[in-house]
Amino acid sequence: MLRIRNLYAYYGSVTALSGVTCHIKEGEIVALIGANGAGKTTLLNAICGLVRKKGEVAFQGREVGRTPAERLVGLGISQVPEGRQLFAPMTVAENLELGAYLRYGREIRAEIARDLERVFHLFPVLKERQGQQAGTMSGGEQQMLAIARALMARPKLLLLDEPSLGLAPLVVENILATISRLKEEGMTILLVEQNARAALKVAARAYVLETGRIILSGSAQDLLADRQVTRAYLGRDYKEFTEGR
Amino acid sequence: MRQPEFEAISPEELELLQLERLQSTLTRAYRQVKFYRRRFDEAGLTPESIQTLADLARLPVTTRGDLSENYPYGLFALPLKDIVRIISSPGTTDRPLVVGYSSQDVKLWLELLARLYTAAGVTPEDIVQLVIPPGLANWRRDLMAGAEYLGASVIPAATLNFAKELMVMRDYKTSVLVTTPPLARHLIAVMDRMGLTPAELSLRKALLVAAPLSSPVRQEIEAGLQVKVATAYGITEVMGPGLAYSCTADQGFHFSADHFYPEIIDPRTGMVLPPGEEGELVITTLSTVAFPLVRFRSGDLTFLNPSPCPCGRTLVRLGEIRGRVDDIFSVGGIKVHPEQAGRLLQDLLGGHPPKFRWQVATEEGLEVLDLELTVEEDFFSDEIKALEGLCRKVRRHFQDHLGVPARLTLKEIEAR
Repeated sequence: MLRIRNLYAYYGSVTALSGVTCHIKEGEIVALIGANGAGKTTLLNAICGLVRKKGEVAFQGREVGRTPAERLVGLGISQVPEGRQLFAPMTVAENLELGAYLRYGREIRAEIARDLERVFHLFPVLKERQGQQAGTMSGGEQQMLAIARALMARPKLLLLDEPSLGLAPLVVENILATISRLKEEGMTILLVEQNARAALKVAARAYVLETGRIILSGSAQDLLADRQVTRAYLGRDYKEFTEGR
Repeated sequence: MRQPEFEAISPEELELLQLERLQSTLTRAYRQVKFYRRRFDEAGLTPESIQTLADLARLPVTTRGDLSENYPYGLFALPLKDIVRIISSPGTTDRPLVVGYSSQDVKLWLELLARLYTAAGVTPEDIVQLVIPPGLANWRRDLMAGAEYLGASVIPAATLNFAKELMVMRDYKTSVLVTTPPLARHLIAVMDRMGLTPAELSLRKALLVAAPLSSPVRQEIEAGLQVKVATAYGITEVMGPGLAYSCTADQGFHFSADHFYPEIIDPRTGMVLPPGEEGELVITTLSTVAFPLVRFRSGDLTFLNPSPCPCGRTLVRLGEIRGRVDDIFSVGGIKVHPEQAGRLLQDLLGGHPPKFRWQVATEEGLEVLDLELTVEEDFFSDEIKALEGLCRKVRRHFQDHLGVPARLTLKEIEAR
C-alpha cells in the first residue's frame, strides 16, 4: 500500500531522516520504534507532506512525494498527531465533523452521518459525550476522539503518533484494543510508539529507527524477543542482562 | 511451499524488501563493526551511498582471508552477551572459522531449514535419518535441528558402522536419508555386500548435501537406493544449509534471496556479471544480526537463473556448482586448502617443507585424500618402521585437524 524509498527529511539544515526505505502492506499494522529523536515522528510527517523531504513515497502505486498534505487526506492518508491536537473549545460532534471537512460538498450528508454512527459504534463513549467540549474530556477519551476524527476522513492508511502518550496503563490497553479492532475492519496502520512494548503487541511487523536510519526490521514477535531491542527500547536496564554473568 | 509469501514473492516486492533489508544491514555493519566501517571509509562510501541494489557492487568484497584476520570476534555486530551460539569449523586458513548467531538468527536459520526440507518434499510424517560424518559437524547439527523443527521423526547421525546404519534404516523404516553424495554411494556398496535390496527399505527420498553432485553420480544413487534425490547448497560462513535448495522441478537451487543477496562476479576483474553468466557467487546477508557479511566471496563458480520455475517459487535459482575459483577442494564434503595439507605435513616432518602431490581418490564411494610425499634425505629413514609410523601419523593428524581420511604414499627421491 505504501512504499518508501531512500527518503530524506530535513528541519532547516538538520537532516532528520537519511535514506529510509520501508513498506506497509494493505491491512497490516506496522510499528515504528526507536529512541527519542530517532526520526519516528519525522517519518510520519514526511509521509503526510508536513516536512521538507527528498525521496520516493508511493501510495497505492502512485507517487505522492510532492503531493501537499491536504490532498493526501483526500487520497486516504490520515494522521492522528502526537498530543491529539483537538479543538478543545469545540464539542465532540464538531470535532468529528471537522474530520470530514474534505468530504462536505462532495458527498451527501447522509453518508457522513452514517460514518458518524460507525465511529460512535467503535467509540460508544463519544456518542454519550457528543455535546461535551473536547478539552474537558479525559486523556484517553481525547485520544479516542482524535482517532475517531481521523476516521471521519475515511482514510485507507492511518498514521498514529504516540497514541498512548501520557495515558494510564489501563487506558493504554483500551487504545490498543481499539487499534486491533480497526485492523480487523481492514484498516492499514502505521504506529509510532515510544512505548515499544505496547506497539509490538498490536503490530505484526516493526522497523527500528536509530538516528534517521532503519537499523533493524522484523516481525513484532521477533523484535520483542531481541535482546538489543529489549535493552534499548523496552525499558529494561542494561544491568539486568549483565549481572550474574 | 513453507513460506509462499516469501518464496513466491513478486519481483517488485522482493526488490523493495531486499533494498530495505540491505540498507539496514549496511547501517548495522557500518555502525557496529570496525572492519566494515574502515572498508566503507576507504572506499569513500557510507551506507547511504547504497540507494539501489545495483549500488551494492560499489562496495568492496569480503574474503575468507578477512574472516581469518578478524578472528575470532572482529566481525561480530553484536556484543557477546547477545550471541547465543558461536560455531566453529576448521576453516580453510590456519585459524578456525567463527560465526556468531543471535537468538533471532537461530530462528531464521531454522525457518530456512524447514523451507529446504519442505521443498525437498519432506513432511512431518517422515522418518529422517542422518548419516553425516563428524567432520561435517555443522551440517550434522543444522540438518538435524531443521528436520526436528519441521516436526519429522529424526534419527540423528550416530557413529555406527555402515552396516548398522543400514540395519537402522531398514528396521526403523527410514523414509528420508540425509547424507553426502560420497556416503550415499558407499551405502549402496555396503548394501551390495550385505545383499540388502532397496525393496527391503522404506526409503523414498535422499537429501544429498555438502558436496556438489554430478548427474552421473545422482543417477547412480537414484538407481541404487530407488529414491528421488534432493540437494541443497550452503556454506558455513552464511548459515550453512538452507541458503539455497532444490525443488521438485529440480533445476538448480532456489536462493533464499529474501534473506541473502546473491551476485555473480568475474573472479578476475570483480565486475558483476549479468544473469546466466558463470562466475563467482558473492553473498550479502540481509537479515542476520550477529554476523552480517557484506559481499562475501564464496569461491564457488555458478550462475543465476531468474527464469520462472515450474514449482511456483519466484526466488532466483543458482545453477549447478561448476567448480572453485581457488585451490580449495572437497574431500567427502569437507573443504580443504592445499596449503592446510602442506602445513600439516610440515608439522609432522619437524618443520621441513614437504614436497607433495595430492588427489582425492574414491574407495567404494568414500572419498580419501591421497598424499604422495617425496622422500628427502633430511627425514629419510632406513627403518621401515619409522616410515610406517609417519604414514600412521599422517592419517591421525589429518583426521584430527580436518576430519578428513588421508593416505600417505612415499615416493623415492629421483636419482640425480
